[in-house]
Amino acid sequence: MSTTIASTEHDTQGGHGASHDDHPAFLQHHFVNADQQFDAAKMGMWLFLITEILLFSGMFVAYTVYRAWHPEVFLEASTLLDWKLGGLNTLVLLASSLTVALSIHYIQKGNQAALFWNLLITILLACVFLVVKYFEYMAKFEHGIFAGEGFDPHGVSHGVDYAKYNIPYAKQFFSIYFIMTGIHGFHVIVGIILMTWLLVKARLGHFSAAWYTPVELTGLYWHIVDIIWIFLFPLMYLI
Amino acid sequence: MADGHHGHHIVPLKILWGVFGGLIFLTIITVITAKQVDLGPLNLPLALVIAGTKATLVVTFFMALKWDNRVNLLIFSLGFIFVIVFLSFTLFDTSFRGDMSNAEENYISDQERIEQQLLERQERLEQGLPLDVEEEEPADAGHGDDHGDDGH
Amino acid sequence: MSQTASAVHHSPKENYLNHQKTVWSWMSTVDHKRIGVMYLVTLAVMFFIGGMLALLVRLELLTPGVTIMGPDTYNQVFTMHGIVMVFLFLVPSIPAILGNFVLPMHLGAIDVAFPRLNLASYYVYLAGGALVLFGLFAGEIDTGWTFYTPYSSSASSAVLFLTSAVFVAGFSSIFTGINFIVTIHKMRAPGLTWNRLSLFTWSIYATSIVQVLATPVIGITMVLLFFEKMLHIGIFDPALGGDPVLFQHFFWFYSHPAVYIMILPAFGVVSELIAPFCRQPISGYKFVALSSVAIAFLGFLVWGHHMFVSGQSVVSSVIFSLITYFIGIPTGVKVLNWVTTMYKGSIWLKTPFLYALSFLFLFTIGGLTGIMLGVLAIDIHLHDTYFVVSHFHYVMMGGTVVAAIGGLHYWWPKITGKMYDEVSAKIACGLIFVGFNLTFFPQLILGSQGMPRRYHDYVEAFAGLHMASTIGSWVLALGLFVVLGCFVHSLRRGKPAPSNPWGAATLEWTNATSPPSPHNFVTSPIVTHGPYDFDAVEEIFSGDGASGDGSVQMDQPPSVAPSSSAS
Repeated sequence: MSTTIASTEHDTQGGHGASHDDHPAFLQHHFVNADQQFDAAKMGMWLFLITEILLFSGMFVAYTVYRAWHPEVFLEASTLLDWKLGGLNTLVLLASSLTVALSIHYIQKGNQAALFWNLLITILLACVFLVVKYFEYMAKFEHGIFAGEGFDPHGVSHGVDYAKYNIPYAKQFFSIYFIMTGIHGFHVIVGIILMTWLLVKARLGHFSAAWYTPVELTGLYWHIVDIIWIFLFPLMYLI
Repeated sequence: MADGHHGHHIVPLKILWGVFGGLIFLTIITVITAKQVDLGPLNLPLALVIAGTKATLVVTFFMALKWDNRVNLLIFSLGFIFVIVFLSFTLFDTSFRGDMSNAEENYISDQERIEQQLLERQERLEQGLPLDVEEEEPADAGHGDDHGDDGH
Repeated sequence: MSQTASAVHHSPKENYLNHQKTVWSWMSTVDHKRIGVMYLVTLAVMFFIGGMLALLVRLELLTPGVTIMGPDTYNQVFTMHGIVMVFLFLVPSIPAILGNFVLPMHLGAIDVAFPRLNLASYYVYLAGGALVLFGLFAGEIDTGWTFYTPYSSSASSAVLFLTSAVFVAGFSSIFTGINFIVTIHKMRAPGLTWNRLSLFTWSIYATSIVQVLATPVIGITMVLLFFEKMLHIGIFDPALGGDPVLFQHFFWFYSHPAVYIMILPAFGVVSELIAPFCRQPISGYKFVALSSVAIAFLGFLVWGHHMFVSGQSVVSSVIFSLITYFIGIPTGVKVLNWVTTMYKGSIWLKTPFLYALSFLFLFTIGGLTGIMLGVLAIDIHLHDTYFVVSHFHYVMMGGTVVAAIGGLHYWWPKITGKMYDEVSAKIACGLIFVGFNLTFFPQLILGSQGMPRRYHDYVEAFAGLHMASTIGSWVLALGLFVVLGCFVHSLRRGKPAPSNPWGAATLEWTNATSPPSPHNFVTSPIVTHGPYDFDAVEEIFSGDGASGDGSVQMDQPPSVAPSSSAS
């Protein structure tokens, strides 16, 4: 409890005594002190995150409206999605959320090696997520399940007759599914790029207990990506 | 006590792993309830409640909002509230769409026409004349033309 | 003469305009003042393009029948006018120009919280603008600025450029909004409590909240519309089983709050214009400040009043109509307080104040017609007529643009370090006021008589009023060109401006030179008084011309100014 703040300050002064004077190197000239800079950056990130939430809200509204209008079609169509793969991806993303939180935990304690490894695991988990998603998409495309005009379910696999899903408004379900998961997947890719950049900087020893703002902000971003999936999974795959 | 250092709270490892365990547990619960337990119309709200709980756990502990500056909590709540506003106000329309259609027959002109017809029927009945159904046809046709003109 | 001489003497040679001279130093600058100036030039170009298109629209309507263009061209021209004016001019306008220049100085800060993000938002805006202009001139777009489906889903594929452009320009708006909110929260000078914030700051704060909350939704709407056109996903297009009214919900969830993105900053500017020229603090400061925030939030709950005849449910029409009335309350609070501020004030009729008066007159008409349109039954009659056109031009042009030009006059000495010519500026203001009313008042009458919007032709009975309106548009354009000429003349020949020509009490006037130094203030200001405590300013900055930056040196001191400032 009481060690948290004290240890931060201690690490700062111990490990980076030379750079930590009135004006450390990372402090931009228009801020008074490092706390102001950190708080400002974090607040900016939170504001950005709610824009992300509202961006996805549009798709959730579209989903809700069409589901309310055609509940039986949405129920039927959702059985085509493989909840096992979706569930696996949920666990993968949750684990990546944990590792990104751990990476922040460790850099706050000044442990650069643990930061590096946790970031690496996070990136790998994100890649696993995308690979699973790729196979899911391919299995759908194979049977003519696309977003929009190309929607033309056909063929039989694993005892499922795809042709019987050619019902009105199933197209809307899969369009919303592909666009939502597609945009979510795009955010995962952006996250991977960001974290790869962090990984390089972490390797070079740029981060410390005194300055880890980019790790913190990317972590927040990654958790939001996770949260959106937390809602997508039951709505699309389960019910 | 650490007001100036909101952002630098270190979330203990025990909490991080505990929350992760909770999230896994809730994921399993949501799959089981959705796939095995048939609650009828309650399945959807239950799944959403579980998802909401998971999201709250992530926001509170992984994103450390519990220890963060209050203004960030305010920002996050604001975003959440406006999602609700967007959703609910849109549903005010889509759930009640067409609630005017039952009034469609009751344009003022239509009402007058119906009243007129009723009066005519009344008169015919009083005068003992037979009720001629064909007589009403031109009236209907005229009504259709009226709508056509409106369309232009 | 001696004042001018001392002003020259005391203003340091190095300021933000001349401390670096290369073009690259401008393009790569992270200085909020320079970014503000860059926005000023860019938005002036956009306003010129949009204005020329407006003149073409009016010219076509000079006489009944085809005057200069056929229906198809006409549809494209008014669409271009709407898109350029709304997305490329009005939405960024005051926050991007005056907000960028003034806001950090009102806070006593060196810069905004994220200067590089600020520059990025400028370039993102440019990219969006380029996409819009490319789409407009490459393809035949006649959807109106609202992109309603099925117009947009069946129009030429150039709509794809515009949806991308609106998406991209939205990011610029979001970045600016985030930047300003964080700046206001985290960058205030010591002593600058929330109760001492200028009302301009408050209104920018409210605007930024709306920008952050609403803009993402237009982003996703444009993404969905993009896929609707590319893949035919059938969400919005009725031919594919989609719901066009749902598109209108998505669109207006952003675009109605966007109206407040456009007008709220104007409220802030007007507060700044009225106080110093009445030499009184804004009456009901807290009410005016909080009414901005109230409008920002209420503005999210009324979007459905654009859709009364769309076929949305009656339940939602009634709800939206009711909440629309509520918007009138905080707006009325503002207008009342501005008028009260003038009461028993020492009114000093300088050009910025004339614009503030024009604003009060025009905006009140715009606001009251807005309430009328919020009434369900009346809206059925007036929907999509010139009454609506006139209403939003009274708000957007008579409100936002007039306030923006007024604000530009007010801060011109600070931005450029030069005074403008008072006489020609006043003539321009008069021309704009007369021209504006001549253009748009007849449209109120036309609308109430049933003249529908978006038609190139009309019946003979409307000819007189349409001609009056077109002639008005020429007067208005003339007035705007006189403003331009006045500013250009000021740049070339204007007298050097003193630090505080208006005797104002906000920090950019009291603590910075004209034009300000690259870091705004020589020393970080410590705030000891409110933004409109004019007596305090006159006590602290005696105005002897020797106390350096911030001295009160007015052209003609108002009667309540201390005599020391004149000597």
